Amino acid sequence: MAGEYILEMNDITKEYGSNAVLKNVTLKIRPGEIHALLGENGAGKSTLMNVLFGMPVIHSTGGFKGEVIVDGEKTKIMSPMDAMTKGIGMVHQEFMLIPGFTITENIKLNREISKPWPISRVLGKELEILDMPAMAADARKALDSVGIGIDEYALVGGLPVGYMQFVEIAREIDKSGMKLLVFDEPTAVLTESEAQQLIKVMKDIAARGIAIIFITHRLDEVMNACDNITILRDGQLVATRKKTETSVEELAALMIGRGEDSMIQIQGKVKHESDAIALKVRDLWVDMPGEAVKGIDLDVREGEIIGIGGLAGQGKIGLPNGVMGLYPAEGEVELFGQKLPLNNPKAALNAGLAMVSEDRRGVGLLLDQSIEDNIAFNAMQVHNDFLGGFLKLKSARSIRAYANEMIRELDIRCTSAAQPTGQLSGGNQQKVCIARALALKPKFLFVSEPTRGIDIGAKQLVLETLVRLNREQKLTIVIVSSELQELRSICDRIAIVSEGRINCILRPDSSDASFGLAMSGAKVNGGDLA
Amino acid sequence: MTQAAKKKTSMTKRIVSIVLFALSAVLIITSIAGFVIRGMDSTAAKLNEMRTSAVVHVASGGLVDGIAAEANAAKLKELRALPNFRSMGMDEVKALCAEAEAAARAEAEALYSDVSGVDADALVGKIDALESALTEYNELSAAQKAAYAELYTSVYESVADWTDFVGESDDEALFAALTELVPGLGEAENTIYKDSFVKLARDLAAVELEKENAELYEQLFSAVTAAVADWSSLSEIADDEALWAKLVELTPELNGQDAVREQLLTDVKAQIAAAASGEVTTEAEAETEEAVEETATETVVDYGYFVESEAVAASGAVADAAFDDLWAELVKVIPDLDGLDKKTKNSIQETMMTVVSSGSLDFSTRYDIYVAQKADSVLSGGTAFQIKLAANAGMYLIAGIALLLLTLVYTFWKPLTRKLGVPRTIITLFFIYLCLAAEIYNISVSLMLGNVLVRVGMYGILALAMLPGIQCGIGLNMGMTLGCIAGLLSTVISLQYDMTGAGALIFSCVLGALIAIPLGWAYSLLLNRTKGDEMTISTYVGFSFVSLMCIGWMLLPFNNTKIIWLLRGRGLRVTHSLLGSFAHLLDNFLAFKIFGVEIPTGLLLFFLLCCFLMWLFSRSKAGIAMSAAGSNPRFAEASGINVDRMRTLGTILSTMIAAIGIVVYSQAFGYAQLYTAPRQLGFIAASAILIGGATVSKAKVSHVIIGVFLFEGVLALGQQIANAAVAGGGLSEVMRIMISNGIILYALTQSGGASRD
Repeated sequence: MAGEYILEMNDITKEYGSNAVLKNVTLKIRPGEIHALLGENGAGKSTLMNVLFGMPVIHSTGGFKGEVIVDGEKTKIMSPMDAMTKGIGMVHQEFMLIPGFTITENIKLNREISKPWPISRVLGKELEILDMPAMAADARKALDSVGIGIDEYALVGGLPVGYMQFVEIAREIDKSGMKLLVFDEPTAVLTESEAQQLIKVMKDIAARGIAIIFITHRLDEVMNACDNITILRDGQLVATRKKTETSVEELAALMIGRGEDSMIQIQGKVKHESDAIALKVRDLWVDMPGEAVKGIDLDVREGEIIGIGGLAGQGKIGLPNGVMGLYPAEGEVELFGQKLPLNNPKAALNAGLAMVSEDRRGVGLLLDQSIEDNIAFNAMQVHNDFLGGFLKLKSARSIRAYANEMIRELDIRCTSAAQPTGQLSGGNQQKVCIARALALKPKFLFVSEPTRGIDIGAKQLVLETLVRLNREQKLTIVIVSSELQELRSICDRIAIVSEGRINCILRPDSSDASFGLAMSGAKVNGGDLA
Repeated sequence: MTQAAKKKTSMTKRIVSIVLFALSAVLIITSIAGFVIRGMDSTAAKLNEMRTSAVVHVASGGLVDGIAAEANAAKLKELRALPNFRSMGMDEVKALCAEAEAAARAEAEALYSDVSGVDADALVGKIDALESALTEYNELSAAQKAAYAELYTSVYESVADWTDFVGESDDEALFAALTELVPGLGEAENTIYKDSFVKLARDLAAVELEKENAELYEQLFSAVTAAVADWSSLSEIADDEALWAKLVELTPELNGQDAVREQLLTDVKAQIAAAASGEVTTEAEAETEEAVEETATETVVDYGYFVESEAVAASGAVADAAFDDLWAELVKVIPDLDGLDKKTKNSIQETMMTVVSSGSLDFSTRYDIYVAQKADSVLSGGTAFQIKLAANAGMYLIAGIALLLLTLVYTFWKPLTRKLGVPRTIITLFFIYLCLAAEIYNISVSLMLGNVLVRVGMYGILALAMLPGIQCGIGLNMGMTLGCIAGLLSTVISLQYDMTGAGALIFSCVLGALIAIPLGWAYSLLLNRTKGDEMTISTYVGFSFVSLMCIGWMLLPFNNTKIIWLLRGRGLRVTHSLLGSFAHLLDNFLAFKIFGVEIPTGLLLFFLLCCFLMWLFSRSKAGIAMSAAGSNPRFAEASGINVDRMRTLGTILSTMIAAIGIVVYSQAFGYAQLYTAPRQLGFIAASAILIGGATVSKAKVSHVIIGVFLFEGVLALGQQIANAAVAGGGLSEVMRIMISNGIILYALTQSGGASRD
């Protein structure tokens, strides 16, 4: 029976170790519908798609629970190749095209049309020659159906980004027997008009009976293109809605909203009121791959905790990295009224800035060195602390004393101060990073993704530590985090970054819908505190 | 693997371990028992007696042979003197000689069957001394002979016509003429051949002249034969004068050849007589003889003109003295020997020396075999067993320890490799094996240890040069040869200005380090532009700089005649002896001997001082920043450190240390070697530090010290043991290349795996 649904994924559960990333998620797609899959970063969208395509990462980590039914038949998809033969295709976010090949060759890659000639008759099919005209004709047809009039013999290498996206789509359409196409954030790199074009193409494709799963953050596109919407949050199915029965506001609230159970409660939060500006950022551009900042203006007040939120890839991480000088930056930054030279980490550190990096293992720590050496490193290099004796050698005693103090204060769980940081758990590593920043006695602290990859108990501790520092030492803190909830629990104000700029600044108690809309790029009225 | 299978393997492993442990325990207990037995008085006495008898037996093996051979020769002489000697058959003579020999042998053996009162230790010492003296003499002599043969051949082949020298009566002029043909003759070491080569030239000239005359005569005679149709027609002429006139008339060539007159006339007369009696001449035979003579073209080296060089003669004298020592000792045992006449003694000496120095087995081995045989034949039952046990206790102990080690390694393979890493485990095991093998092959451990210590000091600083390279993140700095060349340059500069002593050493180190600074700086600029490929780049830079300097050494304006090619008048020679300069200066500084081990105190102290300074540096602010830049560049950058500057610092340091390292290396080696000599040094240094436990991204001072000791220890030991185990050299070099390149490859696979995580 070719039932009502082209694809049914029932009660999918996937665990990485003890960490459940998908919990009983159900997804049902009808033929010819455009179905949006919504969710924050880390909500489980990618994992669900990995399950659908039988990615090796799923099978090598113990498989999943639940059943997948394609076209009424219960199947087990073991590899992406397997998925392709079953008529499931994917348009990738990162283009999987070969720049040195023509569009035709890219579209027909590994599915070339060939014809026999004498040598291939003797030596087998592998040596047949390509039937270029036939391939070009097919490619033309596919290109026409996505509505771009570009020459099928053009090299992919020189195409504008938007066109590559369409070539990618054309390649999927060209595959015969295609029943279901997954678009993974296809509009992220497109201009407004290209995005419109894409949505039109998607509708055309759907009209031919091919179902589409549309993964995106742009709620207006969802409302524009989709028939049905499934929303995931924290690996759980939140809701499935018909487009006609919902609104952008409801979708935003569903994406962000949280039950009381997962709320982190931080005690003792006292609001600081001060009008003095600690950090003034004007028209900051940062060239950080994947997190480009395109002209941020921001004022941070003395003694406050300000959160920087937003979706991955929008540029929120670029802000601290740019100010600290770790990535090429342009613009004007003033710290406590002093102009801060950009692209000079040493100057930033000397000016009293400190940063806890989001890349803990890459930038944050020397993994093969001890806790104490890690903690003392920056203070030694920047302020010449912990150096003693006639030759100004490192003073093991003072380092040990300070490290032990920090271990006690931040509750770093370790065997001793001499334990290599590579052996610590994520949360304890994060605390070492914070201790290292504090050893600098900073006046201003950037904390980037402080809770990424650490468990809930450690999260609580790290956030409490930050609040205490703010309260007791009047330390101004900028927290960059993808976890909106934690920002809302400790920040005085929250700036939402979208497409490399500050979209708006909200109060922690602003509504879920405002946050959802702000993150999806829409202007929110009334909530702006800037 | 299923649980059951896993369990089974672990069971098997446990059983194997227990069995191995039991075996090694048995061996060790046996050896202890052996030592206990050896300690008992009765056994000790018996063992000593056996030992003495064995020593005398083996030592005098040559003596008996000598006496027997002498008796044989004497008998033959005696028989020759008999009037009826000619009528005796060959077999009979042989039998009589053999009889006399056997009698003499029996007598000689009887002479020293009583071994009481023999000082076996002294005897062994004397024999060992003789053995080593003879070995040295034979080696030296063989080497000189080979050189002589080469020289002889080139002289022989360079002279086109020896008769040129016929008229030359002045020795100097003759030798000068020879030297012009063969420049090698002019070298200092060959002046000893002067007289003999002059004599050779004269002798060959004479031979050649004679040969020419004979040829001339042959020609004339054939001309005469052709001219004279019928020999019998000449039979009428009785008068020599008339006959000669007739012959001259027939063959005009004879005009003026009065020198051959007598010979020719005799031959002609013979021909005439033969013609008269009707015999045929044998011209054909003469022709074949000539043909045979023509084919002998290959030069046969005539050792008749060989003269021993002073060194060889001296070592020969040492050997003679050693023999005299032994002889004196033997006379104590067999007083009769003292009465022998000089000629007999010389003949015996020759035989004994041949016996001692020749043969595949050395004295100790033959001694061991004898002890084992004696225990079987002389003693019986339990006593023999006891003696064997006591005699071999040391061997059992070594075997037991070896097996125990093997067992331990087998049992604790996993934790061991986790702690030490696979290569270090293997090398350490190999090192222990070599130590045991050295014991078995009877290689002098003290000599070897001294050798190892010198090598540690020699290569230590070069290996230390790898350390800042690894720490600052450029990995294995194969381009440290840049520093080596800087050091060599400063060394030759010190030679150019005839500097000597400590001043020269300090000057070379300091100047080398200074030259290394700009070199290292320029080189680091290149490395900072090629991050990720440093290993390849540094290897290429090292190799190509060595090649560049091959041209440089030729062109640099040095002009001290001690260091340049004299023929060309410019360009540095390949090898420069530092004996007049600072060779072994550090080695000998405060050097002392302990347990027979020569400790090169100064060398080791200097190495440790360098290590200490490096350790201090690693604890300074800059040192800490440098190793952070190496192990995590992004971390360092985020901490405000200029990573490129740190890499430059590390590269310059590495190059400077290499410059000092090569100066110290040269002083320990005694020679400074230029041109392609420094090319492989990077590989040696890299493998040493890697064996010590460093990786291409992480290293400490302790890795250098451990690594250099293990690597050089294995090489120094391995060289001697390989030479003892396998005849012929070259094996140790093969081993060095295998170990060092294998280690580097292993380290690279490890680092590649880690970076892909």
